[in-house]
Amino acid sequence: MIASAIAGGVIGTLAMVTIIKAASELGMSRMDLPLLLGTIVTANRRKARAFGYVFHFLIGIVFAEAYGGFFEIIGRSSWQLGALLGALHAIFTSTVLVSVLLPVVHPRMATPDTAANKITLIEPPGFLMLNYGRSTFVVTLVAHIAYGALVGLVVRV
Amino acid sequence: MRLDGYAAIEDYAVIGDGRTIALVALDGAIDWLCLPNVDSPSAFAALLDTDRGGSFALQPAVPFQSTRRYLPRTNVLETTFTTDQGSVRLVDAMTLPNDDVDPMRELVRSVEGVSGRVPMQWRCAPRFDYGRARPRCEWRHGVPVAAWRAEAVGIVSWNAGTPAWRDDGAGASFDIDAGDRALLALTSAYAEPLILPGRQDVMARLALTIEFWEQWSRAHDYAGPWSDAVVRSALALKLMIFAPSGASVAAPTTSLPEEIGGQRNWDYRFCWIRDSNFMIDALLQLGCHEEARSLFWWFMQATALTVPELHVLYRLDGGLGDPEHTIDLAGYRGSRPVRVGNSAVEQAQHDIYGALFETAWLYSEGHQSLDQDTGAVLARIADHVCRVWRQPDSGIWEVRNGPFHFTHSKVMCWVALDRAVRLAERGELPAGGGPRWRREAEAILAFVEAECWSESLGSYTRVAGSGDVDASLLMLPLVEFPDPRGTRIAGTIDAVNRLLRRDDVVYRYHADDGVPGGEGCFLNCSFWLAGALARCGRVDEARALMERLVARANDVGLHAEEIDPDSGALLGNFPQALVHLALIDAAIAISKCGAA
Repeated sequence: MIASAIAGGVIGTLAMVTIIKAASELGMSRMDLPLLLGTIVTANRRKARAFGYVFHFLIGIVFAEAYGGFFEIIGRSSWQLGALLGALHAIFTSTVLVSVLLPVVHPRMATPDTAANKITLIEPPGFLMLNYGRSTFVVTLVAHIAYGALVGLVVRV
Repeated sequence: MRLDGYAAIEDYAVIGDGRTIALVALDGAIDWLCLPNVDSPSAFAALLDTDRGGSFALQPAVPFQSTRRYLPRTNVLETTFTTDQGSVRLVDAMTLPNDDVDPMRELVRSVEGVSGRVPMQWRCAPRFDYGRARPRCEWRHGVPVAAWRAEAVGIVSWNAGTPAWRDDGAGASFDIDAGDRALLALTSAYAEPLILPGRQDVMARLALTIEFWEQWSRAHDYAGPWSDAVVRSALALKLMIFAPSGASVAAPTTSLPEEIGGQRNWDYRFCWIRDSNFMIDALLQLGCHEEARSLFWWFMQATALTVPELHVLYRLDGGLGDPEHTIDLAGYRGSRPVRVGNSAVEQAQHDIYGALFETAWLYSEGHQSLDQDTGAVLARIADHVCRVWRQPDSGIWEVRNGPFHFTHSKVMCWVALDRAVRLAERGELPAGGGPRWRREAEAILAFVEAECWSESLGSYTRVAGSGDVDASLLMLPLVEFPDPRGTRIAGTIDAVNRLLRRDDVVYRYHADDGVPGGEGCFLNCSFWLAGALARCGRVDEARALMERLVARANDVGLHAEEIDPDSGALLGNFPQALVHLALIDAAIAISKCGAA
């Protein structure tokens, strides 16, 4: 399961970053996950995106392992089940993980309470990450469903 | 002091915390405060409707005179009330968080008896949602709390009388003796529980806030001429930078009129791309590198949704501007409508491309190189400028009877392509577009020289082929427009001096702009004139003008958008970032040109 989850995580994350980048190019969202993640370790925009892509793929693999663990517990896997998990994952990401927890740990991201005595570089995502554009949640949902479906398709239990 | 319940615009001072800004009148009333953010609906809007807007008054209960100042090099306001029975000092501040369990927003009012025994009174009447919402008036452990939907405001007080609710306002009376202290803290929350702080915590945050502003001013010192005005402008601008995103608001108010009783009442609680190059330049000149970088990052994030087209303005959270609508408030001294949102967002204004490229150029010059992605985005925008510069637009003044071929817009398109070429030559933009950008920049230059010059005026014109002059042309020397003949910019400055100047202040134009009513003189244009004179070598003239313009500020050094040249009364939204940016630019330009 571990090897197939790694493969599923890589393929799923590739699909996810492609969808998000395409949405960005189409003017649907300003969400830039590589930049958000990479700026945790550097304020250099050039390096941040490179770090961010590595982080994102690593996180994608970790989540694919978690999906695999869930598939093992229930004794089956399918792309439909993966897509459902992906949808739940998107809701968790948009309401808690990125919108609440990331600003708390991110040294360069503002929170809604950031005041004049602190200078940050990245605006907070806001509820459902809507600060990055009104279609951001829809883009996130579609990207995570695609990720989950691919993980569900690849992971063997 | 007040006319029909309204204080004069120049009677206001501002306090803020980088998230929202309150307007405090000379008589101690807080007449404008939006919560939780500067672009949120108001909790106090007596500025726009004395009956329904809501305010937080704190003043002697007997006749008084008042004077005020900011505590040196801070955004903490000190008002001194003098009565027949003694005097009282009031310190107002919006406190900065202490990384503790701080209130979401906190406005502190500290009262100190200076002499005698003075009867005082206060009344806090929040009216949420621009006065449209009637609050629930309740008590929490003896603290009056006004709540509406997810919003709540509490007024915690010590030695300031026993509060009681009356007519949906909490208030009390108390006497204060020399040496005594009273304290009030307005604490607010949105979508979270209200924090009711202890007195020591409030005092600690107030001390921290004063210390922060003093340190910030020391760290960004300016030793040139008019240093008090420049530092005050920098402090006011720092208040107008919305800390959660790094964007800067054009002004913290909406619908303060350009003419008393008139219709030119606009909402300025947005971030204009146009202000960006002035803001970045000023921040870098004053050594505020971190603020400059934060603002530049915000611009690159905000514009990502619309690239290669840019919107004229963006919300402070980076979203596209809200549609303009009117709200049912009486308006400042009857000046209606009161508008929320700004329909300029729907206009095409080509000068903003020049502003963005000038911003990128200044940022790159003064701070650090652009990254590859940013360079690629800017290259797409430069290509877009090549496509659109021949089209008419609504121009810098956002006229509502356009579009026209504004000279200023053409010049700023030239700025965009000129800076794109310069950045490409330094390897910060892809070099492939360079030849096209250079070719189109030369075409713009030829157009401006052929179509936007009037021999009879001896000046560049407002619009191609017109016979009007426009104060926006004072920016030509600022953006290093080449003026191939070497005399035309000087001629344009003379024409503005001759046709638009009234005493020491300048009208922006005299042409029809599609909006009924008149307006005052624009203070940013007046400071641009001082800067333009200096850049053209007329330093003594510039210095004399600057002295008079700096004196046009109110008693605490703040400027509104406009001024009535006859009465000296301030008009329009207050304080206005662009005016303070123009002041800083003019002061530095005169200083540099005078030393050269």
